[in-house]
Amino acid sequence: MVEERSAKRRLTAVPSAAPPDVGDLLGSVARGDEDAFGKLYDLVAPRVFGLVRRVLRDPAQAEEVAQEVLVEVWRMAARFDPARGSASSWILTIAHRRAVDRVRSEQAATSRSIVVGVAAVETPYDAVADEVQGRLERQQVRRCLEDLTELQKQAVTLAYYQGHSYPRVAELLGAPLPTIKTRMRDGLIRLRDCLTTEVTA
Amino acid sequence: MTDIHTLAGAYVLDAVDDIERASFDRHLRECAACRTEVDELQETAARLADATWSVPPPRLRENVLAEVARTRQLPPVAAPPVASPRRRAPRRWLLSAAASVVVAAAAAGTAVYVVQDQRVRDERAIAEAARSSEARVREILAAPDVQVREAAVTGGGRVTVASSRLHDAGVVVMAADSAPGGGQVYQLWTIRAGSDPKSEGALRVGQTATLSVVEGLPGASDVAVTVEPAGGSLQPTTTPVAQVPL
Ligand SMILES: [Zn+2]
Repeated sequence: MVEERSAKRRLTAVPSAAPPDVGDLLGSVARGDEDAFGKLYDLVAPRVFGLVRRVLRDPAQAEEVAQEVLVEVWRMAARFDPARGSASSWILTIAHRRAVDRVRSEQAATSRSIVVGVAAVETPYDAVADEVQGRLERQQVRRCLEDLTELQKQAVTLAYYQGHSYPRVAELLGAPLPTIKTRMRDGLIRLRDCLTTEVTA
Repeated sequence: MTDIHTLAGAYVLDAVDDIERASFDRHLRECAACRTEVDELQETAARLADATWSVPPPRLRENVLAEVARTRQLPPVAAPPVASPRRRAPRRWLLSAAASVVVAAAAAGTAVYVVQDQRVRDERAIAEAARSSEARVREILAAPDVQVREAAVTGGGRVTVASSRLHDAGVVVMAADSAPGGGQVYQLWTIRAGSDPKSEGALRVGQTATLSVVEGLPGASDVAVTVEPAGGSLQPTTTPVAQVPL
């Protein structure tokens, strides 16, 4: 993703060597380069683990699923198609799908639906090993989320961070199904526009 | 479903069920506008992960690298299967068929895989199916090149095989009407030219249904089921009660 790369360059304080790029590393990984995979791991693992953990809300399970995801990245690396999007988006899409699959099967297995109050959506994130790049990205996403209407924001975050299906989101928010479907889409479109504007601004 | 295009947001957020996902995947192959939108929104959704950044425990790195060292990578997208003359034209159902091999919710709420309207009654098999790698099953069933084939089981029931070259794997689902008597069991096999049949697992005594993921399945010519002594045999000892040519 062009915006992401240019943002990265702008935000990194005079690097002595060019920071490794997720896309380049994934290309080497696709050719079986285990060293490149180690570097790729260091770049993406905190986001993969953080995302999976946020969705599953259980560190032990998150570790297990994050491991599956990262091994899957190794296994499937040659199938990544740069024409369809950035390497980090590809990796995080795999991570999100896996986490959601797990949380749904867990919910189903215990036959106990977890009702989470809308107020609980924003759980505090870990402040461990923070770094400037991550903090800026976080701030940007948070700022852009605040830019959405309340219903757009709830629809997007309940689905993404908690792994709820859109019928479940509709139920939680007491809104009609078609409305929720539409809010997810226009919410994401607005978020896309905000993130793009912020980077190029 | 009045306007399938509006599903793009829910699809990107993984807020759809497997059937909707399969039908939207099919829609994406026909609708360039949705394809572009989904690619872009997928980037946007991935940015939401920025807000969740969290350092994993150091052992995760060791575990992942150790597993990677012993995990075979998949080749780039496999070449399309070469059309070969067959004694019988295989039914190439593509996604509509995959969608009918659905993930359904049992009364207890446990996710189980059932084939169309077949009833999988064996409780233990259901639990087993739920445990078997769900993500992998979904991935195979949702593959654009998935091919589904079926054969009847002598004595009633069916064996269904969904196979994807893209994933170099398949899903075998068996649901027989009754279990073999006399302490015998069903055993699954894959048959490859030039080598002995390979066991893909024996069922337990009294078990009538099973679901399993078979890695490397597209390399096999047939999936067969025989009746064997409890615990299974090293090689088939009876004539197959079901055989699915691939
Ligand atoms: Zn469309």
